[in-house]
Amino acid sequence: MKNLSDKNVLNLRKFLKNNILNNSDFVGHEDERQQVFDLLHRTITSGESNSALLIGPRASGKTTLVDNVLRDLQPYFSSDAILVKLHGLIHTDDRIALKSITAQMNLENAVDGKVFGSFADNLTFLLACLKSGERGVSKSIIFIIEEFDLFCSHHNQTLLYNLFDVSQSAQTPICVLGITCRLDVIELLEKRVKSRFSHRQIFLFLGNDNENHLDQRLARLQKYFLVPIQQSVDIAPSFKKQWNSSVHTLLKDRNFKSLMQRLIDLDLSERSLKNILLLVVSELNNDNNKLAYDTFLRQVELFERDETVQVLQDLSVLELCLIITMKHHCEIYDNQPMNFEMVFSRYLKFANANSNIQTVERPVIMKAFEQIENLELISPLTTGNSTVQKEYQLFKLLVLPHQITEAVKKITGLPTEVTQYANSSLV
Amino acid sequence: MMSTLSRLESTLPCRSSQIGQLYNLFGHNEEPFPGSVYISGGPSVGKSIVVSRVLEEVGVKHAVINMIECYTSKILYETILSKLCGLVDTKCENMMDFIDHLQRNRSEIHRSVLIIDKADKLRTMDFNIFPGFLKLKELTGGIHISVIFLSQIILQKFYSKTNIVEPIQITFPQYNKDELLEILTLDIDYARNLIINNAKGGGFEFDVDFYRNYLNVFLSVFYRNCRDLTELRYIARSNFLNYCQPIISKENTISDSLALWRKVAPTLKQALQNLYLRVSTVTLPQSLELPFYAKYLLIAAYLASYNPAKDDKRLFMKYHGKKTKTLRDVKKKSKVSEQLNTVLGPKPFSFDRLLAIFYSIVEDKVGFNNNLLVQVSSLVELQLLSSLSDSSSLDGAKYKCNVNFDFIQTVCKMVGFNIRKYLSDFSHM
Repeated sequence: MKNLSDKNVLNLRKFLKNNILNNSDFVGHEDERQQVFDLLHRTITSGESNSALLIGPRASGKTTLVDNVLRDLQPYFSSDAILVKLHGLIHTDDRIALKSITAQMNLENAVDGKVFGSFADNLTFLLACLKSGERGVSKSIIFIIEEFDLFCSHHNQTLLYNLFDVSQSAQTPICVLGITCRLDVIELLEKRVKSRFSHRQIFLFLGNDNENHLDQRLARLQKYFLVPIQQSVDIAPSFKKQWNSSVHTLLKDRNFKSLMQRLIDLDLSERSLKNILLLVVSELNNDNNKLAYDTFLRQVELFERDETVQVLQDLSVLELCLIITMKHHCEIYDNQPMNFEMVFSRYLKFANANSNIQTVERPVIMKAFEQIENLELISPLTTGNSTVQKEYQLFKLLVLPHQITEAVKKITGLPTEVTQYANSSLV
Repeated sequence: MMSTLSRLESTLPCRSSQIGQLYNLFGHNEEPFPGSVYISGGPSVGKSIVVSRVLEEVGVKHAVINMIECYTSKILYETILSKLCGLVDTKCENMMDFIDHLQRNRSEIHRSVLIIDKADKLRTMDFNIFPGFLKLKELTGGIHISVIFLSQIILQKFYSKTNIVEPIQITFPQYNKDELLEILTLDIDYARNLIINNAKGGGFEFDVDFYRNYLNVFLSVFYRNCRDLTELRYIARSNFLNYCQPIISKENTISDSLALWRKVAPTLKQALQNLYLRVSTVTLPQSLELPFYAKYLLIAAYLASYNPAKDDKRLFMKYHGKKTKTLRDVKKKSKVSEQLNTVLGPKPFSFDRLLAIFYSIVEDKVGFNNNLLVQVSSLVELQLLSSLSDSSSLDGAKYKCNVNFDFIQTVCKMVGFNIRKYLSDFSHM
């Protein structure tokens, strides 16, 4: 019996993880999806050239939307159209992008015969290929350009200029669809490029529809977590039923709802939700085979946590004292920068006032100071200037006073004089 | 399933929560991996060892890349390809080639994990590398590959650039005092060997409690200033013999921990002064044997850097006349410690001023010749002085003194010169 439930839990985990990570279903935003679909469909079937930008914040489902549309259009790509995908992070300059375009259009054979020395030759050839086509006769080409904003920083925006140029003229039908998260992307385009762009922008906002976010999200959770009864997942039916009912109970729980609302207020994006769900699912095991409110609570609290406070808690007492000293310096001198000597002399005042502090040598304190610098809790004002000795190099503090207060509160076993020092600069 | 976990927890003490998290994410066969995981934690908290041991134990193919070795993107790509796919002599210049190679070896790298150590170095490389690795799974068109970043820096410090997707985060907190004690106790075999090898005729057996006693004493001195495990272990090892010395010489018994503590306390306090440094610091000015006049030149340079020029007359001339105190002087005297010259650093001075001060502090007559002048440039070569003007201008060269007060005091002691008399801002020291 134990083995059986073992297997059930393992299979359930596998199913849920797959469901969360590899889910490519697109929900909501029907209008936008239809718009993109129509655009691409028209290019493929009736040979209209077009260009458009799909703009939306990070993790709002832009790529999922496009992938979803492309899957619907899949039958055309074997005969009537060619798909060319470019990504701003992969194709970092026009030369590489061009190489990739040639490969994706299966033009390598044509290129192989001729020896192309320069970028210009390559581009001319590609353009000739594109221009030689006629509307209605030749295959249409779909360009999907992800991280479109990065292409704007390429030299002279040559590639964009030419693509938009072809899309404006009656040559081979092409459709250029840029995907980006920058709302100001139009401003990044040069004037001559901008004038060739169709100015068709499709926005994808997370808060687009006036629906209740909470209900939406609960529905999403239901979709992620429920195990379909009929589908062939290798889980015992009784276990399935038990699991599904536990999911339903959780989703109706009032505490859970307010927790989800808390998360929505912080972050609407799907990705942070998925990260949390994945962590929750990966905590499932034999003894803990139900979705529990506590697990969610723990993960949301981890999500909300201030990492800087954790870093401060990890410091040794000496390093923390130096940070507190820096805080006092910033308060007294109105956020003026400081150097090691200033911090050191102020720290010495504190150390000398408390006789029970074991004093350490200056080099050791210097080392502690460097450790703080390594953790990037302070940052130098000027970088790469080697003429200044390190004792006199000016730094600014990157930690906020309330973070220090919180860290001091959380550390157990901190000496009393340090706690007092954190609260008041008088020694 | 549990045996793997418990085996890991027994070999990697005090990290059970982190091991559990990693095991949950990567441990189960056939489950999909998360796209990327970011692991942060201070120095020597066991990030690298825990990650690689967990992956080894669950049998996931992985490659560890240290960003200190891979300082350009080309080296980075090629190292990854050779470690992960076994492609040794491949050329890979950019992200496109890299993705291309990965896709060609799709089956080989299925379900593998890329571990990038010292990931903070990624920030100074090409803009596309960090965001690219964060979504490597997406970029490669769904190859089942995961990337783990290890760094001392928290993820927030990467936010300056856009195009970043949020990875799953795991934090490795620093060990607390009890955990440090537990881990350091594992070192007992080393300590036993140390006693056997070094105690001449006085070797003795001891149990865990004896060693824990020592570590308790040790941590009570060091824990306040240092929580770095590597450093603590080094010092604990190097001082253990001192702790045992009274037992070896049969002055005290093994159970007399109070006496042992009293005897070792001064040694430990001495060792505290060399924390992280591992060598004594006073040796530098002594080991650097400068010529006699060069020492005086250095002292003159120090005085010129840290005294305002208008105090020179008062400090170095015999008959400088009486000075009436003005309100301005009084105000200047009361300036706060953060604005003293000692704190703000050395000021530049001209070559003429250096020579003038030099002649007034040197007691015997020194000929003004090349041999003297060339010592200034050798001081610059030694980086004890730094030249602020470019080498082309012969006139009005400006210098700055680069040594600190402790250094100059040692030099002064060697030539018998009382520097405090000549410093205007150092009265508080």
